[in-house]
Amino acid sequence: MTKRRTHNQAFPTARAEALIRANACFRPDGELPLRPREAEGGCGVTGFACTIPVSGRHIYEPSIQMRNRGNGKGGGIAACGLVPEDLGVSRKVLQEDYLLQVALLDPGARGEVERKYLEPFFEIDQGGMIPTVDDYRDIELLEIKPPDVARYFVRVKPDVLQRFAEDKGLTALSERDVADEFIYQNSLRLNQEFYASLGEQRAFVVSHGRNLLIVKIVGFAEAAVQYYRMQDMRAHVWIAHQRYPTKGRVWHPGGAHPFIGLNEALVHNGDFANYHSVSEYLAQRNRFPQFLTDTEVSVQLFDLWDRIYRYPLEYSIEAMAPTTELDFDQLPQEKQRIYRQLQATHMHGSPDGPWFFIIARSLANSGEFQLIGITDTAMLRPQVFALQEGEVSIGLICSEKQAIDATLASLASEDKRFTPIADHYWNARGGSHTDGGAFVLTVSPNNGSGEYVMRVTDKFGRPVATPPGQVHADLSVAVRSEARTEEDSDDLKDAAERGDAGALFAKVRDSLVEWDYDRLRWFVDELADQTADAAPALGIDALTLCLDRRYPTGDKKRSSVLTILRGGLERIFERQPRLSQGGAGALRRITWDTRETLRGPDDGETTLLIDARGFSPEGENCDAALAVKAYHLGWQRLVHYNVRGTRFHAVGFGPDTAGLRIDCYDNPGDYLGSGIDGLECYVHGNAQDQLCQIAKSGKLVVYGDVGQTFLYGAKGGEVYVLGNAAGRPLINAVGRPKVVINGTALDFLAESFMAGDPHNGGGFAILNGVQFDADGNVVPLELPYPGSNLLSLASGGCIFVRDPHHSLVEEQLNGGVYRRLTTADWKLILPFLQENERLFGIQVERDLLTVEGELQPPEHVYRKVVPLAHATETDGAGE
Amino acid sequence: MFDTLGDYRWTADLLVSNWVMAETGHAPGPHLNSETGDSGGGFDKLRLRFPEAPPADLQREDISTELLLNRRKDDSRPKLKIDVPWYGGGMSFGSVSVYTMMAKARVAKAWNTFSCTGEGGYPPRLVPYAKHIITQVATGLFGVREETIQRAPIVEFKYAQGAKPGLGGHLLGDKNTPAVAAMREAVQGFPLFSPFPFHSVYSVEDHRKHLDWIAHVNPNALLSAKVSTPVDVDMVAVGSYCAGAHIAHLDGSYGGTGAAPNVAKKNIAMPIEYAINRVHQFLVDEGIREQMTLIASGGVRTPMDIAKAIALGADGCVVGTAELVALGCIRCGNCESGRGCARGIATTDTELMDLMTTQWCTQRLVNLYSAWREMLVDILYRLGLDSVAALRGRTDLLTHLDYESNAAS
Repeated sequence: MTKRRTHNQAFPTARAEALIRANACFRPDGELPLRPREAEGGCGVTGFACTIPVSGRHIYEPSIQMRNRGNGKGGGIAACGLVPEDLGVSRKVLQEDYLLQVALLDPGARGEVERKYLEPFFEIDQGGMIPTVDDYRDIELLEIKPPDVARYFVRVKPDVLQRFAEDKGLTALSERDVADEFIYQNSLRLNQEFYASLGEQRAFVVSHGRNLLIVKIVGFAEAAVQYYRMQDMRAHVWIAHQRYPTKGRVWHPGGAHPFIGLNEALVHNGDFANYHSVSEYLAQRNRFPQFLTDTEVSVQLFDLWDRIYRYPLEYSIEAMAPTTELDFDQLPQEKQRIYRQLQATHMHGSPDGPWFFIIARSLANSGEFQLIGITDTAMLRPQVFALQEGEVSIGLICSEKQAIDATLASLASEDKRFTPIADHYWNARGGSHTDGGAFVLTVSPNNGSGEYVMRVTDKFGRPVATPPGQVHADLSVAVRSEARTEEDSDDLKDAAERGDAGALFAKVRDSLVEWDYDRLRWFVDELADQTADAAPALGIDALTLCLDRRYPTGDKKRSSVLTILRGGLERIFERQPRLSQGGAGALRRITWDTRETLRGPDDGETTLLIDARGFSPEGENCDAALAVKAYHLGWQRLVHYNVRGTRFHAVGFGPDTAGLRIDCYDNPGDYLGSGIDGLECYVHGNAQDQLCQIAKSGKLVVYGDVGQTFLYGAKGGEVYVLGNAAGRPLINAVGRPKVVINGTALDFLAESFMAGDPHNGGGFAILNGVQFDADGNVVPLELPYPGSNLLSLASGGCIFVRDPHHSLVEEQLNGGVYRRLTTADWKLILPFLQENERLFGIQVERDLLTVEGELQPPEHVYRKVVPLAHATETDGAGE
Repeated sequence: MFDTLGDYRWTADLLVSNWVMAETGHAPGPHLNSETGDSGGGFDKLRLRFPEAPPADLQREDISTELLLNRRKDDSRPKLKIDVPWYGGGMSFGSVSVYTMMAKARVAKAWNTFSCTGEGGYPPRLVPYAKHIITQVATGLFGVREETIQRAPIVEFKYAQGAKPGLGGHLLGDKNTPAVAAMREAVQGFPLFSPFPFHSVYSVEDHRKHLDWIAHVNPNALLSAKVSTPVDVDMVAVGSYCAGAHIAHLDGSYGGTGAAPNVAKKNIAMPIEYAINRVHQFLVDEGIREQMTLIASGGVRTPMDIAKAIALGADGCVVGTAELVALGCIRCGNCESGRGCARGIATTDTELMDLMTTQWCTQRLVNLYSAWREMLVDILYRLGLDSVAALRGRTDLLTHLDYESNAAS
């Protein structure tokens, strides 16, 4: 049965074909390039979208945080959802006109550019040079003078549009469509003449979308903001990119990101293996590279699917990062049908290789702005998403979590509607049926009120939201005196006198739903004040328990509760004497400014608090290096706090460090705990990537999530993670690591595990697949493990997984088999689950062994995965 | 007499030459071709062009063969130098015996150069030689511990190996003896795989984070990135520089391996003679050539090969097979099986390895190095150059047989 093709159904195809044909004139002579001229490699990317416009200075913090991901050879930012006053134009001009920015590598080219590519075609509503600082050398780390950039607000002249539409066969398209295409082609031609052809590179179009602008330079991204004086310029959406190109010296800003499609700017971490294939694919659709970088073709792809093919965003994402294997099989039939067609058509355009894209998109027709993060199907690049909802809402996407928190801290320091901790952090599962590996943050006008709302969804349109009905605390307002109650005061005094940190925690935990913020703040402040001098360890232990454990917070946002608790800890920390001061008590404090006073502990001194502010992220001036020195001088308890992305905590202490305990608060960086051999490390929050590589022995406890390649090459250690692991945890581990992950892992859990026989001195991992809900109850995740390659190609070790409904299937394995849990297995893992209970409050019987309200025997709840070579018949299949 | 000895790359003459050197400490006589093999490609197609006569005032004693390994400006690490422009390649405990490793360590100490642990861990018996031992951090992270990093003057990140590019490592099960399993903390008898990438490094900034980590554990160690020779090897070298590496070590496809199945020992990746010059030129263009030490390996058999590699643009070489040949290797190619090594070199089988003693092995290598230095000085003397450094990048002193015949006509 043939479908009758109506005009409405035929038009999109005709329209796409017409637009593609209209670009035939750009086909270059000769061969397409085999590989990009500039190998992209690495960098850091960041972006945020907010319901109120925020100023450019706030993109500094994440950019500075991620300097170690760049090498100052190329950086850039894009802003979308701008404020007309900041640009000196009317709202109408901002919305209707194209914001054309041309970088003038040769300032003398300006006249020629305007004469040839602007004046004949555009009504120029405003034009001028972007103001800059007087001397680029005044900006730290800026070594090369950025290009002058001319900025114009333009509309295409009606007669020009008319002629263009006729010449190119586009008369059936809407005026806006034709104008978009005109702008696009005009920029191509400008670039062709002034940049891409042989000869001197004199000018190029940096951006040309509506209500969107890009600046990019040879230097760090934050230097671009400073140089072009954008610190006070405001926008709803910002993205930034720190580049690390491998071709260094002869450099030009044209190759830096972000790249422009039409109304979208894209930044990219990673690089592709199939640049040639993607170029061929684009060439078949009359799109030809001018800047010869991976990133350029990425945004070309997006513009093609979005503007030419008019795909819904979901389809563009599918074309970019196709769903395959087990995830494809889990999709509903209808999706499989459509996705199969998308894949058949676009497979060769799908970038292959580690990549993570952040796209800032101006939906100028509807006045909306979008921030999109898309990860590749193998999740080979790190990515973190975060959301804060309240009076203002902000969503953030970043290569690293500490950059997110640095941005929030920067915003919160200026505007109390922001808090330094997000309400929710998560990762995307690339190419998955669960979230599609992409999240979309859309800022929309709220019914003409002049205000905006934000909606966050995954690729399939499923919303991400924070628990409803909760509000942030306003910490700028003093606590009311009525907040103090006799009951709270007495309870506090009792527990403090008894030295009972557990009771203090229990008081907070059990009262919090009922308490308002003021009562909480009073209690925390009072607790801090009462213990800071007399019993600081008690106060720290109590508040740390409150920070670490999960319990219902009622109508209060957990992020605010954490901020308050952290404030209490700060009060106690700051009251501890520095090393050069005298004082009673066992705790001493050292800061960046007083780092030269480092000495060994005197009698009675046990704990060194290290305030990480001011220390370098790595190198001899990082707080982690100071910690190593302190240990060798005799300190056995070390606490890092105010950590904002400094790295390598609990690393470098050498062999045989049993007896050492390290606590990390706030945002420790990557590689934490790598190589530990005996020490204990406690991370009071989320941790980053590459934790505990080659860990040999000792203990790690993370009161949150961990990132990529957790325990890669580990040889041992006892490890407990409250939340999730990302990709490739325990990969290539040997020996005897014993790991409990309460959440789940993204993929490749324990691939190539070589840890022998768990019952005979070997290693194992326990995967519980649970999480805490907003009420503090332990509930199972939808799937204990959504990935594949579970214990893939392993020659030893074992995974014990909580899977009462046997939701894990054969297809998730690769050289392993499921087997029943035996009595001996339970005897082996129970002590670890009991320690897990003690640490996190996840109870063995109430939370783990209870399935749908009923207590079950362990063998009905847990299964195990073992390497095929080790599977015995007597265990029985785990069916 | 030599009908069945040798192959195109290591001809009978080259093998016997090596044995003469290992026995006597001097170059063999002119009756043996001790300079080139018969492979029909690679170094065997290159020839050095010697001037009529060297400068009259040049003395052999004044010729310097030393190699500076740390050239980075503003770098607080020791300015390590070695006395000869080569060091011993990584051969893991498991792919070879501890005696082999001990001998390599002892010759490194005697000649003030280095040897390398390979990816199998750091046998305790090597610790006394720590000042001359490079510790390798490879993709399986076998045997890597803080102490093995902390005691090493140089840490070598093995991203790839030319003999099996893109394939990672593979120690077959029967070479995973109890001693090897204990060292790597794995289970004996099972094959041990190292993945093809570092799973924590999927982008060049990850490479830098990785080097940062090791630098944190040992801020005094030099960092070497050992890579094979893909199409964009030049970018890789620059990326390594930006990541903080001191040494870019290119491992070409003519190299050997004692830990790979037969099918993997094929010719893949760019030939080393192309890669060296390409990377050298690229680093020069980037303005960082003087801050990096470029090391080439993979089929470096003789001092003549070393000289050619340096003339192409390398600062020095790493050698592998040549040392094993000095220990008696006959290149039978059975290295990958546990009891395959007829000489007891590439095995940890307790019976086979006792075919040699550490003392004997050490002396053989000492002699080899002695002969090599003598021959290298001789080459430099004949070229009229007073140092190895003066030879670097002197492609004008090289000729390629294929083009020479064209030029001649």
